[in-house]
Amino acid sequence: MLSPSKLSPTSPTVGDFDWKFEILKQLHRRNATESVCFKPVFEAYGKLFDYSDSLKTQTAHLNLQVEKLKEDIIRGGGNGANGGSLERVGLLEQKVYKLQEELTEMHRRKGENAQQIVDLKNVLQDKEIALLEKERRIQDQDATIYGMKQALKQSEAAVLELERSNQLMKDEQQALHMAYCSLEEKFRKMANENQELIDRWLKQKAAEVERMNAETENMSKLKQRSLQKDILEAAKDQVAINIDKLLNHDDLPMPPICCVVIPSTARQKMDAHDGEVNAVRWSASGRYFATGGSDRKVKLWELSPSGLPEVKGTLTGSNAAVMSVEFDSAESLIVASSNDFAARVWTISDQRLRHTLTGHSGKILACKFFSGSNRVVSGSHDRTLKLWDLRSRACTQTIFAGSSCNDLVCYGSQNIISGHFDKKIRFWDTRTENAVNEILLFGRITSLDLSPDSLYLLACSRDDTLKVIDIRNNQVTVTLHAEGFKIGCDWCRAVFSPDGQYVMAGSNDGVLYVWNLVTGRHDNVEKVLKEGHKDTITACSWHPQGNQLLSCDKNKKVVLWSDM
Amino acid sequence: MSEDREILRELWNGQVPVHFVLSSEEITTVETPQPYFALVPRQTYFPLCLEKVNRHFLKSTSHAANAEVWLDWEGTPLRLHYPVGVLFDMYANEGILPWTVTVHYTNFPESELIHLPSRDAVEAHFMFTLKEADSLKHKNTLVSNMQKKDHKQLWTGLLNDRYDQFWAINRKLMETSTENPFFRYIPFRIYQPDKPFIQTLVRPVDEEGRRLTLEQLLKRTLPDASDRTVKIQGIRVPEQTPIQWLSEHFSHPDNFLHICVLDK
Repeated sequence: MLSPSKLSPTSPTVGDFDWKFEILKQLHRRNATESVCFKPVFEAYGKLFDYSDSLKTQTAHLNLQVEKLKEDIIRGGGNGANGGSLERVGLLEQKVYKLQEELTEMHRRKGENAQQIVDLKNVLQDKEIALLEKERRIQDQDATIYGMKQALKQSEAAVLELERSNQLMKDEQQALHMAYCSLEEKFRKMANENQELIDRWLKQKAAEVERMNAETENMSKLKQRSLQKDILEAAKDQVAINIDKLLNHDDLPMPPICCVVIPSTARQKMDAHDGEVNAVRWSASGRYFATGGSDRKVKLWELSPSGLPEVKGTLTGSNAAVMSVEFDSAESLIVASSNDFAARVWTISDQRLRHTLTGHSGKILACKFFSGSNRVVSGSHDRTLKLWDLRSRACTQTIFAGSSCNDLVCYGSQNIISGHFDKKIRFWDTRTENAVNEILLFGRITSLDLSPDSLYLLACSRDDTLKVIDIRNNQVTVTLHAEGFKIGCDWCRAVFSPDGQYVMAGSNDGVLYVWNLVTGRHDNVEKVLKEGHKDTITACSWHPQGNQLLSCDKNKKVVLWSDM
Repeated sequence: MSEDREILRELWNGQVPVHFVLSSEEITTVETPQPYFALVPRQTYFPLCLEKVNRHFLKSTSHAANAEVWLDWEGTPLRLHYPVGVLFDMYANEGILPWTVTVHYTNFPESELIHLPSRDAVEAHFMFTLKEADSLKHKNTLVSNMQKKDHKQLWTGLLNDRYDQFWAINRKLMETSTENPFFRYIPFRIYQPDKPFIQTLVRPVDEEGRRLTLEQLLKRTLPDASDRTVKIQGIRVPEQTPIQWLSEHFSHPDNFLHICVLDK
């Protein structure tokens, strides 16, 4: 390269011009071949391309318009013929379109409105129902109010009435108060008067007492005189009786023991009471016997000379069934206990009720004279025993036995033996409060009886056995029983014979059993008396002379057994 | 110099006629779409001028409008980040004008091309290349010191094909002072078919202070090459031309000297 670069790197040199010229020439050629010759063609092409593009879009647009117009014409029908009114048709169509839109809008709104109406109707129905309900309630309320008013009126009337009556009362009270005041005044006067009278009366009484004293003195003198007369007469009678007794009995004063004969025939059957006959008892002499039944009566029987019993009298006064009867030793009194919680004493001579002994709180099952005719002991279901004094008509002692008493016997002048529901026999001394002794058996005790020599005690218990107890050592000496022998009730009585040799008791099948104690064969029954009763035998009694028996049952019957 | 100015003008005005054809694989309509013809400036990049082409061809394909477009020439994919002139010189050499290019929307050849999905990506690529060139020439002082609007003016000038607008700024990048009349290094790339481009550090003057010519540059970079055609901006530049001058006047807008070396 020749270029003097040191002079001016940028300034062109002669050599520079050569290559620059060459370059320029080449560039000219390049542009001429590559672009200049193509330029008009490409410009024209570009124009044409754009033009064709725009034409295409225009054509498409026009086609669309034509289609639309065609459609319009078809839809427009005859109107389309007017030709010139295409624009108008378009306008109208637009309008129609708008109107249609409006119409659909309207339809939609109408539907909405209809829905609203339906909803509102439903609401209205609900409201109406509510209204009806309300009206009904109002009516109810009105009715209630009316009723209330009525009640108020009545109440007011009542109040007025009451006020009036109150006024009346007040007036009356006033009047009464006044009357009371006057009466009080009167009373005071009367009291004074009374005081005066009492004073006078006392004075008179004193005078009378003096007079009475004098009179009694006279009376006593008279009595003494008559007594002296009586005594003299009585002395004569006694002599007669002694002679009589000596004539009647060959032996010495002992009861006729040898005479005990067990009869085997029922001589007489009597309907003694209505219903059950609970008790039967001979008197000490054997002249009388007494029965007690659930018809509340005690009957007194006497043996006629022919030997048949006759009713001597009926002793009334009991208010419930009679459970036991007993004569006193002098044959002047009968005591009977009753379920009406009382015991009663009658006199035989005039058959009148003398005493009624009340104080028990349960039915009395047993009642006995005790050491003479003036004392009575009773045993009751109220678990007490009571001692009574007939002279003072009062209960002198109460023994708390602890169990219901079914039967009792007196022993000596102070001792009592009682048989109880709790299977015990208790021994009492009236001087002490507690039981002296007690024996436990195997069944409830229904009856007790003492042997004539007072050494043995016969106890009947509900284990269907009879026990003979030696009182001296309180030991059971003999136990008696028999096949078919059954105790019928809690107050079924068993007795010794007058000589103490036999024991008798009745069974619940109406059979009377007699055991012999002397033979020593305790299970040996001496005699069985059938055909007398058909029902449970409740009690029996042995004639003091030993040859007659009495038994009673639950069905009215009393049977006299005798061989005479 | 009037010649220099005329040369710059002529270079800027360089355009190539391109015949765009839609790839037969892309056609989904019954009718084969009409080809599209366009004069494309040599200085610009393909992605910037395909708008109309896309609009024309997308009518005939089923692809969405935002599908990324790529081009090939006789089966060779074209690197769209090279300027259009370089691609033309490389492939359309001695060919028949207009240059026929096939347009594709699918089957993007991932291994051979880089994505330039939008205009912004092209701008970023352009500015990056510009800065690289500047750093080779002036240690990257000028571009960095420029204002943002100057960058924008450069880009819009290129985009809208405005010579005056572009060179008003680009002149500053090409200027040399009197005390230092040469660039530090010449920013250049040498392209050969089927090979990656060559880029080395070459000073515009030799050790003795003489100006380096194109011949010397080629000798240094491709010592064993003979029987070749060297084309810059579509012409055979005389080999005695100093590379400093070439860099100042024959560079593309990205300030690189793109040299195509082709077998004869």
